[in-house]
Formats: sequence, C-alpha cells, structure tokens
Amino acid sequence: MGRAINKYVIHNLLTLVLLLLLLVPVLMVLVQWLLNAGKINAISFLDRGALLLIVNSLLLSATVALLATLIGTACGFFLYKTHLKGRRLYLLLLIVPILISPYIFAVAWKDLLFLLFGSTASAFSTAGVIAVHTLIYFPLALLITGNALTNISSSLEEAGLMVTSFRKMIFKIVLPLIRPAFMSSFLLILVFSLGDFSVPAFFGIKTFTVEIFTQFSAFYNYDAAITKSLLLVGVCLILLLSEARYLSGAAFFSISTRGSNSKIYEMSGIGYVHHTSFAILIILSMLMPVFILLYQSLSGREIVIDSAWKLLKPAVFQSIKLAFWGALLISIIGLYAGYWQERLKSPFTNVLLLILFILPSTILGIAFIRFYNQPETGFIYSSLFIVLLGYIGKYGFIASRITGNGIRQIPVSLEEAAEVSGVRPVNKFIKILLPLLSPSLFVSFVLTFVLCLGELGTTIMVYPPGTELMPVKIFTISANAPQALTSSMALISLLITFFFIILFFMAGRVMFKKNSDE
Amino acid sequence: MSDIQLSHIDHAYGGQTVLRDFTHTFAGGKITCILGPSGCGKTTVLRLIAGLEAPGNGSIVVNDERVTENGKILVPAYKRRTGFIFQDLALWPHFTVYQNVAFGLNEHHAKNVGQKVKDMLDLFNLSNEQKKYPHQLSGGQKQMVAIARSLVLRPQALLMDEPLANIDIQVKSRILEHLLSIHQADPFTIIYVTHDHKEALDIGNSIVVMNQGNIIASGNSEEIIHSQHIFLKSFIKT
Repeated sequence: MGRAINKYVIHNLLTLVLLLLLLVPVLMVLVQWLLNAGKINAISFLDRGALLLIVNSLLLSATVALLATLIGTACGFFLYKTHLKGRRLYLLLLIVPILISPYIFAVAWKDLLFLLFGSTASAFSTAGVIAVHTLIYFPLALLITGNALTNISSSLEEAGLMVTSFRKMIFKIVLPLIRPAFMSSFLLILVFSLGDFSVPAFFGIKTFTVEIFTQFSAFYNYDAAITKSLLLVGVCLILLLSEARYLSGAAFFSISTRGSNSKIYEMSGIGYVHHTSFAILIILSMLMPVFILLYQSLSGREIVIDSAWKLLKPAVFQSIKLAFWGALLISIIGLYAGYWQERLKSPFTNVLLLILFILPSTILGIAFIRFYNQPETGFIYSSLFIVLLGYIGKYGFIASRITGNGIRQIPVSLEEAAEVSGVRPVNKFIKILLPLLSPSLFVSFVLTFVLCLGELGTTIMVYPPGTELMPVKIFTISANAPQALTSSMALISLLITFFFIILFFMAGRVMFKKNSDE
Repeated sequence: MSDIQLSHIDHAYGGQTVLRDFTHTFAGGKITCILGPSGCGKTTVLRLIAGLEAPGNGSIVVNDERVTENGKILVPAYKRRTGFIFQDLALWPHFTVYQNVAFGLNEHHAKNVGQKVKDMLDLFNLSNEQKKYPHQLSGGQKQMVAIARSLVLRPQALLMDEPLANIDIQVKSRILEHLLSIHQADPFTIIYVTHDHKEALDIGNSIVVMNQGNIIASGNSEEIIHSQHIFLKSFIKT
C-alpha cells in the first residue's frame, strides 16, 4: 500500500514538474489573452486577410499531406509487403530525410529553382515548399502505414484473395484496414507542414506560421502574434482531436522488423519499375540536395567552404553539446512517460507530451518567451535550459512512443518473474527492464539527438543572447550573405548530421550484434 | 463432383523442404481428413490447392482443370471455386456479418445477393447477428460466419485448416453436426486438416496421415486404426 502511494506521489511529482515547465507557459498565454481579449480587440487581428492566409496555408499543407501520405503508403507497401530486392537499403535511405532539418532541404531546393529558372519567383516558391515538405514528411507516412500494413494478419488478405483479384483485395480489404494509420499520417503531416516555419520562410512564402513569427519578431506586435497563434493552435487541435486516441499509442519508429504473420507478395516481372521509382525518390530526397549544395559551394568565383566553416565552427560544437543533453533528457522523460503509459496505464505524461508535440514550434517559442521572460523566471530565460525545454516540448512525445512501444513488446511476465523471486523494484528495473529496453532507448536517443541538432522553429525564438546554434546561425545569415555561403553552411550542417547518423548506425550495429551473440 | 489431384508436388519455405514428391487424389464429394503432427506440411497442402501459394514442382488439378504446374499459378485462387476456412477464421473486422458473407458474391457479380445471404444466415441461425461486427460475436458464432462465408459461394471444395481448434467441445460438436448435415444434403468435397486423430476418425470418409512432408498412410477409419505403421501407431496412441 505504502509503496503504491509512493509510486503515485513520485509519478505525479515528475508529471507536475513537466506540466509546470512546459504546459503552464502555453496555458498562461491563453489565460492572459482571454483576460485581455476585450482590451486588445482581438477580433481585429483576425480580419479577412488573416482568415484567407490560414485557408491558403491549410490548402498548401493539405496538398503536402495528401502527396506525402500517398507516396509514403505506396513505398510502405512495396518495402514492407514484398520481396523487393534491396528493400532494407531503400528503407534506410528513404527515412534519412526525416532526420535532417527542413531548412537544409529548403536551401538546396531554393538553389535548384534558382539554377533552373534563374529566379525563385512566387509560383516556383510555392511548388518548392510543397516539394520540400512532401519529401521531408513522406517517410513519416511510410513508417506509420508500413507499420500498420505489417500488422494485418495474412489470413485476412488470403481470405480476400479466395474471392477476388489482388487489386480489388488491396482496395477493399487492405486499404480500409489501414485507414486509421492513413488518416493519422495525413493529419500529422498536415499539422507538421502547417506548423513549420523554416521552409516557407526560406522560400519567402507567407504562411500563417511565418506571419506569426514576423508579427512577434519583426513588428513586436505580441497581441496580434498571440491571437493568430491561438487560432492556429485551435485548428491543429481540431484536426488531431479525432485521431488523438490512435496517435497517443502510435509506434512511429518501431525497431521491430515486419510482423511474422504478415503476408509478403512476390513482385516478379515489374521489379525494374519499382527500382526506378525508388531510385528517383532517393535522388530527389537525398542525393539531389547534397549535390546541389556541393555544386553551389564549389562553383562560385571563390571557394567559400573555408569561410563558412570559420563562421559556423563555434555554433557546431555548442549545437552538438546541446543536442546531446537534450537527447539524454528527452530519452529519460520518454522512458518515464512510456513506462507509466504501458505498464501502469497512466497516460497523463504521455498526453501532456502529445499536446506539446502537436503545437507549432513558433507557438511554443512565444509561450516560453512570455512565461520565462519575467523577473522570477529570468534565470531560465537567460540560460540554455530554455532551449532544452523547447527540445523536450517538441520531441518528448516521440521518445515516449518509441520507448513505450519497446516496453509493450517485453512480456510483463519477465518483470513478474523477478518480482516473485524477491528482486527489489529498483533492481528489477535496472537489471531486467533496462537491458531488454536498450535497443529502444538507443533509437530514442539517436533520433532525438539528430532532431535536436537541426531544430529551428522554437530555438530561433528562445535562444539566449551570446549563444550560437547551427540552424539559427544559418537562418539568420541567409538573409544578407551570398547564396554560396548559405549553401556551404547548410552543406556543413548536412555533413555533420550524416556523420552522426552513420556513427550511431555503426555503434548500434556493434552494440546490438553483441547482444544477439550473447 | 470432381476429384482434386496433386501430382509429384515439391515445396519448400526458405530452403526448408515441407513437401516431397507429394502425390494424392482427394475424392470428390467426400470428406477427407489430413492428420499429422505440427509442421508436417498439412496446411501447405491446403494452401497449394487453394492457390494461395504455387508449388516448386508438380501439378494440381481442381475441378478437371490444371490450376498449377511447375511453380506457376495457372488459375488464381478466386477462380478455383474452392472455399477456405482459416485457423484464425479471418473474418474481415471492418465488415458486418452480412457484409462478410456478401463480399464474395458481390465480387463474383452474383444475382440475388441479398436472398442468398439471407438463406445462408438463416441456415446458420445468424439472421439476428447480421448487423454485428466480428468482435461482437461469440467464438461459435464467428466459426459459423466463417463457414457461411465460404459456403454461400457454393464451392466445389471446402478446405478447412483446423478451424475448430480453439473452441469448447460442445460448440465444436454442434458446428460439426451442422456442417455434416449440410454436406449430406448437398455433397461437396471437404478437406479437413487436424492434428486430433479422434476428430479425424469421427468425421472423415477417408484419412490421410502425413509426417515430414510425406503421406505415410491413407484409407478409411478402420484401415488407419489397424495400420501397423510404427509412427501411426504411436501418433494415434498419443
């Protein structure tokens, strides 16, 4: 009884700390706005122009979400449900773009449009935003729908094949069965695209998020920024509310391979079509950005890589250091939230992280600035801790789901066996659960490290004076520097990200090969 | 009612042979039980007849038509006029009972779909459940829906892969009784896979006993019971 009470006290205490540090700032903005709504004449900020802008932003993001989900689902089918040769390599190469900060792609694509058309006129820029967002986010749809496809019992598909053709079976049995995953993928990408500020800002496209950032950072019109932010939060919450139940348990990055009971199809005869399609996708999403950045960096009258490195060097080391601490903190919080969600059926922390996860990064930034830029909380505002809080808010949910999914795959009986053998709860956790969970914790750390390394949306709003971080440095310098310098800095940033992805990939292989040998 | 002939079938999964030179003719209109321990290849025989897999070698004739030959599927599963009851029943969770039963008829562009489904649901006492989804049914009702879904297409052969393995004995005998009475009224070929020798001896007109991808004995109940084969004697004893 006493131990149970202790558990709940500890849990509630930690959840309370997270609630205070992360969600209260957002709620305070809402409360302050409600109290002042009459005085500031909030409705005046939501004029016809603002509403038109949100409709246009929604249309742009819906196009992205539809394209990304369709491409991701098609890729998911061929990579998870067929014997296509090289599918593991394709999968690995296709999911890399999701680990790379969107602004790097934006720089590369902007360069490409400039090279092709000699300008980055508005029409091309809109296409550029759609192309970049689609290429960044389709791997998310691939992972979500791919995971759903592997969870369909083979007999359901075979029962369909007994009465109808393969094509009809796919449309009438398989696709309806993965509808929740398809919808979640669509809505998640819609919200991500809607909330992303970096890509439209690089292309000079005015979206609702860019407008909020401009009102806040350029015009210091806090009331307009907050009023518009709350409208955007409302739209995001409405969009995701219907799928919240599915999302709160979503696996996202499952470290398990395809399900043992999943039906796998032979794709004889048309393999070259698939190989060509995958090659085009990999060129567009991976190779082309690298090539363009490289070309822009080296084709100028003078080689600017050297000066780009000199400018970026202090930011690189600070970014790596901060990403490391961010990933470590996030992985611990993810373990905590995942454990309570999966084992103790207490979803509060997970739901808290889900709410923060779906908030656009600029809104999180505004909330943190408003809340922490006070005499009582100024020590947080002026330290790097505020950036770490931003990272936790953005990526805590991803870590929670990766770890939670890992915990779900460990039979409870393994812990119970330790319990009845008289193993103390601490030892049960350290000696039984943690070793079994180490692959999930590793994936959680690696993924959040790479994401933190490239985070721009919240970081650009909250980074304290005197701090230099890689994404912020590139973004701020891009406004006035020659294009070749921006491209060189983006290339360096991309190579650093690749370096860590390869390093962690190799470390993972060594670590978990050793485990399986044992 | 035509026979189902399997000639010189070889089949492997990932390099591991599961059927070796398997040759057998399943008599049309009769109930044949395939009996054998787990992993002996009995489910594979059903899957090859159904057309869910192509054998590495050999040929299969269903309803006087060559359906597979030397690794190639000549007639796809949905054109073979066979029904398949899966071990996990495979009721489509997004369809109601009515939709599960009607789906195949609609795909075959059958006439009077509504009437045919109604008759089949009446036959299996499922009329009151037609608007329910699979998860709202009891275990026995799910078995009935799975059988009704296959029989509504009037298959020449019904392939059953241990469909009654996970239900209690009373429900099991009620379902079997029901199935046998339908079979008696309008005979069709049934190939019934089981590892329960008592069940096989009770319902099979003939029994095929398999071990390690081969037939080790076949015949009627009497012949099987009195077989002197060492494996068979030990298998039936256990």
